[in-house]
Amino acid sequence: MENLFIKADTFIPEINFNAQSGELNISGESYHEYTLEFYQPVFNWLAEYLKTPGRNIVLNFRMSYYNTSTSRRFLELFDMLEEYQKQQKGTVTVNWYYKPEDVDMKESGEEYADDVALTFNLIPLTK
Amino acid sequence: MSATEQPFSIYQFFSQLKLHHFSMVAQGLISQDILSLIALSLKRRPDNQVLARRLFALVVELSQNIFHYSAIKEFSVKDQCEIGVGIVAIGESDTHYLVASGNVANAENASYIARQCDYINTLDSEELKQYYREQRRQPVREGSVGGSIGLIEIARKSGNPIHYEIIPMEDGNVFLIFVAKVRKSVSYDD
Repeated sequence: MENLFIKADTFIPEINFNAQSGELNISGESYHEYTLEFYQPVFNWLAEYLKTPGRNIVLNFRMSYYNTSTSRRFLELFDMLEEYQKQQKGTVTVNWYYKPEDVDMKESGEEYADDVALTFNLIPLTK
Repeated sequence: MSATEQPFSIYQFFSQLKLHHFSMVAQGLISQDILSLIALSLKRRPDNQVLARRLFALVVELSQNIFHYSAIKEFSVKDQCEIGVGIVAIGESDTHYLVASGNVANAENASYIARQCDYINTLDSEELKQYYREQRRQPVREGSVGGSIGLIEIARKSGNPIHYEIIPMEDGNVFLIFVAKVRKSVSYDD
């Protein structure tokens, strides 16, 4: 399966999903209002990827800002992965990176961690 | 222009903004591009980055209300869709930053949003957090294209009640104003 790469722009994040390593990276800012349109190809790719059971997936979030509309999309993403872990013998780990001073981003990670049954690591960025 | 009406004066406009400590005002099509420019200008500020991001979150959510709910829309060639017309402004007092928005809205939509605001304003920070998570799980309100959790986000990021005002207009529409305030001295323990 092909990798998925979408270059970051002013209001869209960089998407870098590696089909071989199972490493899925989302980074930057996301405040496009039509988040459904932007995230649809991402969901499509993931749905295809999750057809194969037993994968070992690491999802790395390195977001500096996202709007509430994006927040819904991320929850949908986590739901897909939670379902996969339950039904398809997959292992999913979420690494949620935040700048140490960014209390809001840390809290957002904590809230997702409470809302979905996935292994969530909250990791302060060192640099 | 009627004879009694004063001609528009850029100088008076500038003086008014200066008097009320408004550093940024955007009027017209509140597009994604305008938002990214505001983001850039907030990032250039030397002060607290957490505060700058909270202000930007307020600008984004208030603008996206305009984007979707303004009764006046214009077609944007670049975005290939209709975009709301309104006004967004960032100002400050001695103790607070203010983000204000205004747009012409359908009276019914405005009163729906006002009721939402009234409810949100009764919640404390822990209740807001729970309500946000609850609403994020809900499908979006009918006729709403954006996240209906925008207002909750505004209340959370501002840490203050959302002030709103609905001014009836002659054509039956209303002018809907929101003002979100953020304390300048943000505690990291908040």
